[in-house]
Amino acid sequence: MSPAGCPHVNGFKVDNWKQNLRVIYQCFVWSGSAETRKRKAKSCICHMCGAHLNRLHSCLYCVYFACFAKKHIHEHAKSKRHNLAIDLLYGGIYCFMCQDYIYDKEMEQIAKEEQRKLIFKYICKFFKCMCVFAFVSGIGEKYSTWEPTKRELELLRHNPKRRRITSNCTIGLRGLINLGNTCFMNCIVQALTHTPLLRDFFLSDRHKCEMQSNSCLVCEMSQLFQEFYSGHRSPHIPFRLLHLVWTHARHLAGYEQQDAHEFLIAALDVLHRHCKDDNGKKANNPNHCNCIIDQIFTGGLQSDVTCQVCHGVSTTIDPFWDISLDLPGSSTPFWPLSPGGDGSALNGESHTTGATTLTDCLRRFTRPEHLGSSAKIKCSGCHSYQESTKQLTMKKLPIVACFHLKRFEHSAKLRRKITTYVSFPLELDMTPFMASSKESRMNGQYQQAVDPFNNDNKYSLFAVVNHQGTLESGHYTTFIRQHKDQWFKCDDAIITKASIKDVLDSEGYLLFYHKQFLEYE
Amino acid sequence: MKAAVNQKLTEMGERDRLKELLRAKLTECGWKDQMKAHCKEVIKQKGLEHVTVEDLVVEITPKGRALVPDSVKKELLHRIRAFLAQHTNNLEY
Repeated sequence: MSPAGCPHVNGFKVDNWKQNLRVIYQCFVWSGSAETRKRKAKSCICHMCGAHLNRLHSCLYCVYFACFAKKHIHEHAKSKRHNLAIDLLYGGIYCFMCQDYIYDKEMEQIAKEEQRKLIFKYICKFFKCMCVFAFVSGIGEKYSTWEPTKRELELLRHNPKRRRITSNCTIGLRGLINLGNTCFMNCIVQALTHTPLLRDFFLSDRHKCEMQSNSCLVCEMSQLFQEFYSGHRSPHIPFRLLHLVWTHARHLAGYEQQDAHEFLIAALDVLHRHCKDDNGKKANNPNHCNCIIDQIFTGGLQSDVTCQVCHGVSTTIDPFWDISLDLPGSSTPFWPLSPGGDGSALNGESHTTGATTLTDCLRRFTRPEHLGSSAKIKCSGCHSYQESTKQLTMKKLPIVACFHLKRFEHSAKLRRKITTYVSFPLELDMTPFMASSKESRMNGQYQQAVDPFNNDNKYSLFAVVNHQGTLESGHYTTFIRQHKDQWFKCDDAIITKASIKDVLDSEGYLLFYHKQFLEYE
Repeated sequence: MKAAVNQKLTEMGERDRLKELLRAKLTECGWKDQMKAHCKEVIKQKGLEHVTVEDLVVEITPKGRALVPDSVKKELLHRIRAFLAQHTNNLEY
């Protein structure tokens, strides 16, 4: 099986061999027109036994078709000394001298071109006759492995340095210098640079900048990823990023301590605005933006308001980038839910310690809430103001779900930090909180059979932002996951290895989860 | 009979469509991956330098045929029958 082809083809490569070979491909291997198909159907049978199966081959030197399996073509090759044949099923070239299929560069090239022509023919036909289903379910673009272009080969040759990713390498980890209370920015940057889909987007250079000035935040993010994956071990100084953030999100400017969650939302917003024209299409409709930020972070939150009188339901769906969860101990009452209710068994949390769990918070978030007599809603069914209940559920889950534990209380009376420990899992199943689950519950299916094959709602933790200290003076750090189960603590410029226990025991302020299974739309 | 059926299928392009359908189904159900793994084993056994396509064909054909799920066979048969039923009046024996 020599990659350089075999020496026996030279006898074949004479005169107009290329054109002859093309004709053979077009007529007998990949027949694209009705005429060639008819010819193929009629003539492609074994000249010895008449069978059309048994791996039919065609002699390359004369017009002779014969079975491979029954060795009929071998007999022909021996007697006529025609040592090359082509497989009519797959187009492979067999050399009887080498006794194997051979791969000659020039012949392979012709084969590829002819095959492409066939696929192209089908696609053209599809447009002509407009029968969408017949062809969509039929021939499609054949998957071919990546091959570098000339330009890429050139680049690879000019840059011979290669980096090997082993399981214990620290690629992608880099500290960030604190420029004066900027840990609120550093912690979010660490989380974003370790979001797998975002990382892949930027490292494959997918952002084509349409902004005239130098103030595109997406370009700066791209630069940031380059810095993080450069292999440099010294901490990076993100002064340009900070400046751009101050320019585009004025409310975050200044050297005082800011809220990391506010920074996350502001950053996502600016990136989303600067990304808008990435697909080449002008996204006029804010609800249908297809930028990378929306693809990764945007989910849909369903709000159902049920009139207590006529039981009519009014539903709205709002996009969200994060879920802010109330905690016990805040001034808004947190109703303790009985342990073992739906959600906790699914997520394998124990209630023996009595600690509040993330699923407790999510259950509270999605419970029906009575709106009270002072907040009557106008019901379109009753045509009057009535009392109602409101319930939030997840309509569409984002690929990356960010949970914000509301630890900072800024009510009229007091400003404080709620330090209640909330335990969160490494793997989270969001099924109980989905709008679809709620519907099946309402339809009487109380015992929801857990479908082990439904992987749509399973998430894995990949970053945790923590806040130490008080409301007035505190410090943010991030735990991020690198490779499957290696965790690192990012404390501004200092990166240290962390254990899973460290991560799960931490207080938790912002929790980042990534969908385990991704599907095409 | 077989030859006539095959001729009809080929002529009308149905054979190619069925081939693509089969390809998709076998990939979906993991058959392709199973075969790939088996090929790798055979190559390991025979040695990369000496193995031929023929060796592989001989080794994996029986296993490949046995591992095709019944549901796939049923569906293909159904499609062929439906196609023939549609074009029965055109068939020449």
